[in-house]
Amino acid sequence: MAMVDIRDARKTYDGGFEALRGVDLQIQEGEILALLGPNGAGKTTLISAICGITQPTAGQIEVGGHDVVRDYREARKLIGLVPQEINLEPFEKVASTVAFSRGLFGLPKNDALIEQILRKLSLWEKRNDRVMALSGGMKRRVLIAKALSHEPRVLFLDEPTAGVDVELRRDMWQIVEELRQDGVTIILTTHYIEEAEAIADRVGVINKGQILLVEDKDSLMTRMGKKELTVELDAPISDIPQSLSDFDLTLGSDGKTLVYAYDTAAERTGIARLMAALSEAGLVVRDVSTAQNSLEDIFVGLVSDEQEAAQ
Amino acid sequence: MNFGAIKAIYRNEMARFFRTLAQSFISPVISTSLYFVVFGAAIGSRIDEVEGVSYGAFIVPGLIMLSVITQAISNASFGIYFPKFIGTIYELLSAPVNFFEIVIGYVGAAATKALFIGVVILGTASLFVDLTIMHPFAMLAFLVLTCISFALLGFIIGIWAGNFEQLQLVPLLIITPLIFLGGSFYSISMLPPVWQTITLFNPVVYLISGFRWAFFGMADVPIGLSLLAIAVFTGLCLAVVWWIFKTGWRIRT
Repeated sequence: MAMVDIRDARKTYDGGFEALRGVDLQIQEGEILALLGPNGAGKTTLISAICGITQPTAGQIEVGGHDVVRDYREARKLIGLVPQEINLEPFEKVASTVAFSRGLFGLPKNDALIEQILRKLSLWEKRNDRVMALSGGMKRRVLIAKALSHEPRVLFLDEPTAGVDVELRRDMWQIVEELRQDGVTIILTTHYIEEAEAIADRVGVINKGQILLVEDKDSLMTRMGKKELTVELDAPISDIPQSLSDFDLTLGSDGKTLVYAYDTAAERTGIARLMAALSEAGLVVRDVSTAQNSLEDIFVGLVSDEQEAAQ
Repeated sequence: MNFGAIKAIYRNEMARFFRTLAQSFISPVISTSLYFVVFGAAIGSRIDEVEGVSYGAFIVPGLIMLSVITQAISNASFGIYFPKFIGTIYELLSAPVNFFEIVIGYVGAAATKALFIGVVILGTASLFVDLTIMHPFAMLAFLVLTCISFALLGFIIGIWAGNFEQLQLVPLLIITPLIFLGGSFYSISMLPPVWQTITLFNPVVYLISGFRWAFFGMADVPIGLSLLAIAVFTGLCLAVVWWIFKTGWRIRT
């Protein structure tokens, strides 16, 4: 059974804007899923629909087997949410605002746990400071502490590292790693591809309210491991010579560029062999260049393909 | 019921009150004293008694009602509007609490603060005039009911308000005039007959009249009618709150 099970979730706002257009997504317990997408793709709406901040128009969302609308109490008990915006009451003290969050979940006071969370987030020294006296990065740590205060089994991090310093980003990844070891399921949205690469098990791409791809990160990395060598020829050719058929080559439409795809992880890239074969075939090479596929390329490619299809 | 959440909300709201305790305590004391100076000394010297009660004592129930109603509304409306304004409402919406638990927490805290201020005013007033309360339990019951029902109204206003101006609008344009014209500082028997009839459409008249009855045993309208009025008013507020709960109006997009 999936920890988070989303089936055909739709959300149409009052103005008629369709923020979610039939999202299907299953997230396994203990998994870390990174959700990538441009601004306005529906990332935050999807999280809001799961967490109860917005009401889905149609579809079914279950967390830990509990429907988030009908059985909202049981579902929400499992969920911790770190929102994108820094929404904190400025006059409250750090420790009391974190304790308040735990109280909202109906749980008894647990000072030891709160201390442990605050220490882990380097907030313990600031526990008696008012929120408004904290820096932006510290405030974000407070948001994380609040989300962890009721020991959630599913944690949503909505762009947790947008605009934070390197240190907090590293701390964040460390915390995510510790939570993973405790078996907590984590869903994070991000703009940063390297963040997804660093911590996620699977990567999902969302655009215009639809999931375009959900794939194991490692298989994505393999795709990313592909590199392309572009060979610019001095004179155009009409066909790839027979002697070069061993190579995975594509001829550009101008007849002057040959693109060779190869695997950087392979023992031999075949580049030297290709170069020799080119000169044997009597082709004069004018220039060469290489390009690597990155998650970003895959992401941009997916999003722009969709845009073209829509036009 | 998530009692832990109700307690958390209530304590969190009360903490805000205690942070500004001096302010919460001093302002009603000063304003009450001012009313006594203005109404008691300036006007009271021209009106000796209203139906056998000294004018200074006569205005005490109205004074308490004026502050209690205003405070209950402003505390409750601000209490729920503020999280909406700064965005912390996300926490309430994503917690395993239902709307009624949220209402009990916020309205309970706002009503407690209003009750506290009512008691402070009563104490201050007793320094200026001799007060004997004829029906103390009825007085307390009226006070508590008023605190709760107007805190409910304040909560509704806080949910409805889209900005700080709207938050002030209803109390300023509707509630304050109704209280002032509701016989806080006069008996409606002192009005010309036409105005006596018009005044009866003001719901606050029934509250102040009932409250004054608890103090002095005299009333502009029968006590039963006063009780009915506050019951109807509380019922209306509860119905609106229930409707907000059903529809998620202005809370859940």
